[in-house]
Amino acid sequence: MSMEDYDYLFKIVLIGNAGVGKTCLVRRFTQGLFPPGQGATIGVDFMIKTVDIKGEKVKLQIWDTAGQERFRSITQSYYRSANALILTYDITCEDSFRCLPEWLREIEQYANNQVVTILVGNKIDLAEKREVLRQRAEDFAEAQSMLYLETSAKESDNVEKLFLDLACELIREAKQNKLDNNDTAPMPGEGKTISYLSCCSLN
Amino acid sequence: MAAEDLPSEFDIVILGTGLAESVVAAACSRVGQRVLHLDRRSHYAANWASFTFNGLLTWIQEHHEESQPEELQDWSSLLEEGEELIYLNPSDSASIRNLQVFCFTSEKDEEEEAQSAVPPSTTEEEKGEAADDTVDETESADPKEEESEEKPEETAAGQEGQGAQTAGEGPEVDQSHPSVAQSQSEPTRKKISYAQLVKEGRRFNIDLVSKLMYSRGSLVDLLIKSNVSRYAEFKNVTRILTYRHGNVEQVPCSRADVFASRQLSVVEKRKLMRFLTSCVEETEEQQAFTGRPYLDFLRDQQLGDNLQHFLLHSIAMVTEDTPTEVGLASTRHFLRCLGRYGNTPFLFPVYGLGEIPQCFCRMCAVFGGIYCLRHSVHCLLVDKDSNRCKAVIDSRGQRISCNHFVVEDGYVEANRKNVATPTRFISRAVLITDASVLPSGSDQHVSMVTVPPIAAGSPAVKMVELCPSSMTCMSGTYLVHLTCQSVGSSYQDLSPVVTKLFHTPESHDQEHRPSVLWCLYFNMADGDGTQVQGHNLPSNVYLCSGPDADLGHDHAIRQAELIFQKILPEEDFCPPAPNPEDIIYDGDGTSFPEEEEKQEEELVEEQEVQTEE
Ligand SMILES: Cc1cc2nc3c(=O)[nH]c(=O)nc-3n(C[C@H](O)[C@H](O)[C@H](O)COP(=O)(O)OP(=O)(O)OC[C@H]3O[C@@H](n4cnc5c(N)ncnc54)[C@H](O)[C@@H]3O)c2cc1C
Ligand SMILES: Nc1nc2c(ncn2[C@@H]2O[C@H](COP(=O)(O)OP(=O)(O)O)[C@@H](O)[C@H]2O)c(=O)[nH]1
Ligand SMILES: [Mg+2]
Repeated sequence: MSMEDYDYLFKIVLIGNAGVGKTCLVRRFTQGLFPPGQGATIGVDFMIKTVDIKGEKVKLQIWDTAGQERFRSITQSYYRSANALILTYDITCEDSFRCLPEWLREIEQYANNQVVTILVGNKIDLAEKREVLRQRAEDFAEAQSMLYLETSAKESDNVEKLFLDLACELIREAKQNKLDNNDTAPMPGEGKTISYLSCCSLN
Repeated sequence: MAAEDLPSEFDIVILGTGLAESVVAAACSRVGQRVLHLDRRSHYAANWASFTFNGLLTWIQEHHEESQPEELQDWSSLLEEGEELIYLNPSDSASIRNLQVFCFTSEKDEEEEAQSAVPPSTTEEEKGEAADDTVDETESADPKEEESEEKPEETAAGQEGQGAQTAGEGPEVDQSHPSVAQSQSEPTRKKISYAQLVKEGRRFNIDLVSKLMYSRGSLVDLLIKSNVSRYAEFKNVTRILTYRHGNVEQVPCSRADVFASRQLSVVEKRKLMRFLTSCVEETEEQQAFTGRPYLDFLRDQQLGDNLQHFLLHSIAMVTEDTPTEVGLASTRHFLRCLGRYGNTPFLFPVYGLGEIPQCFCRMCAVFGGIYCLRHSVHCLLVDKDSNRCKAVIDSRGQRISCNHFVVEDGYVEANRKNVATPTRFISRAVLITDASVLPSGSDQHVSMVTVPPIAAGSPAVKMVELCPSSMTCMSGTYLVHLTCQSVGSSYQDLSPVVTKLFHTPESHDQEHRPSVLWCLYFNMADGDGTQVQGHNLPSNVYLCSGPDADLGHDHAIRQAELIFQKILPEEDFCPPAPNPEDIIYDGDGTSFPEEEEKQEEELVEEQEVQTEE
């Protein structure tokens, strides 16, 4: 793919307890499917979707956990170079909400400082089974300076909005950074993927 | 979170997340095997791990604590007809020893002192450059006493650990007399305090091993071939340096370097070019030196001292008695790797080498492998008739059946291993410094520094200096890794080099050199000698060794491939994972099947072209 295919490329990473609906959110957004067949994700590393935001082409690379969250064993490298994190819990599962501070600690340890984090309460179609009040989650998100959104991967409520809002926020930050870039702070990473290195090689 | 139960049936169970184990995991999962990958530790990558500063302090502490011998539980009730048990080692503390920590910077930042919420230990330990002449190593040892406890009996390779003990006494001495020496003369640049290192601790990714990736080495080839490379980013090592006549000098590498070099005379440049060009092919002249030292061969070429030093120590990176054929092979390898990605032969992963095993683990998980840290295997269930491991019993007492079991050798009792030589050790030191060993216009250098033996009988030391943009250290610091094959303890082997190249309380006259803010010494078992097939172990149990002392990763990759071939002789080793870019969905949620198909076709074509090349 050539660079001209998009104006922005962002890496978005999903985290949160197993079973809260991360995979469903990604599949709903990228493929419009629910529920995704379980086996279908084998071998799929991340999903790509290009969206149009005010005339700019934004390519979203959306990474799922590969199931490593099941036993609390996500690799640090998963968080590296993410532009945005979608921290998901299940509104019908108190436990998934109570684990959020633990997830925030992981983020703090391994994610980039400038990462945009959004808290998502999923499964609002199951309103009658709600265990976490919206207000509580909003307060928590605000205290951690995160955006907050409630979704249903099943009913496709707010799923599009979730990713589009994130894309807008990421563009805003990117433009801001460009403005701020006259400071001397070293660019994070500066690393290159091997394929990029090889195309730059002098050989 | 409620502990979910693990499935009880897998094709392959792997214990330990070091590099070789992780590559085996990825390779097996990739071709459809059901893989369970466990590690007793709470972090990935075993002795290949990298830690934040605070994570490293915890690791140090854990290795100081007496490993309580975990009580061996009796699992015999889980035995079935015709089975017997093999217990695994409950801890692997034997692979790390002689840990010593020194802190040469002040505990707290002077200005921040008032408002900073630094933990209770208030020992003032101002050690400015102005510290008086009587300063010795003990006075300046780490203020954090629990991290510097010594276990004098634990010394490497039968050495008496003299230096280790002396240094280890430091903390107590230190605790007893709080700071006197307030900085008398203001240093021009304010030194970063220990409190700042802790506060910015997550900026550090400090590797336990120090290696580089040869740009045409087996690790880079595997990363590219398998597409695992997409999980990491890399930086070029930008300089090859060497220590010589008390100075750090740059070694000219590429032809452009040679031409630009100011150290080399025109004659030397010509000689070097001629030598490097000629050594690519085998000649009769070279064969005449087979079995004789490479140094003799170089001398015979009449290259002069400068070039001889560069070629022997920095390009071949061998010792004076290395045979000519070996020296030439490493010289050729170096030249082959030059210029693939940059003007040195090496790459370094951003965020440290500890990322690499994790990248392979991610690949394994993407293909369905199940991951569980803080989870171990207590014993193996072996079928007496076939002498095969049928199942393992995990740390929760669950019986998990498997066709193959791959394990980090530290989990296996010594008498079940096939070790070629008595266990050797690697000496390691990690320094946090405040400047580069060779300052230049750019502060973006990643440098490989070769330090020839500084005295007869001393080891040759390899040193890697990392800058903050490698994402391994906080801004304003450099992270320096020293490695050599152990002769004595790590402190004995490496502190003389540290003293020569840096400004420490032991070399306080060297103010022009970078200051060491904090440093760690330890020895790690050398994984070089272990064979993959054990002794007295079932035939479907395979051992992976820990890191070896080589600069590259060939040993672990070779081992992983060997194990994979034993498990799945018919299968391809790490074929490329499909490119997720192949799946593309259209902008506004409505997918247009026709267009999508077209796009996919195009992409497939594009991919084919790539793989052909
Ligand atoms: C002295 C030396 C000899 C080498 N010999 C070999 C070899 O025989 N086989 C091998 O596979 N690899 C060899 N290498 C390694 C290989 O050349 C590297 O891939 C190369 O150095 C990468 O550097 P580069 O691409 O930046 O520079 P290069 O592309 O090599 O050259 C950089 C600049 O130097 C100029 N230049 C290059 N060579 C000459 C020359 N001979 N005379 C005048 N100007 C020149 C070029 O025009 C260019 O401007 C050698 C390297 C060195 C330092
Ligand atoms: N009712 C309802 N169920 C959902 C929703 N999202 C996911 N699920 C279900 O929750 C379970 C876990 O979803 P999954 O996406 O695999 O969770 P993950 O482990 O976080 O990736 C599945 O059974 C889904 O069908 C939702 O929005 N509403
Ligand atoms: Mg999932």
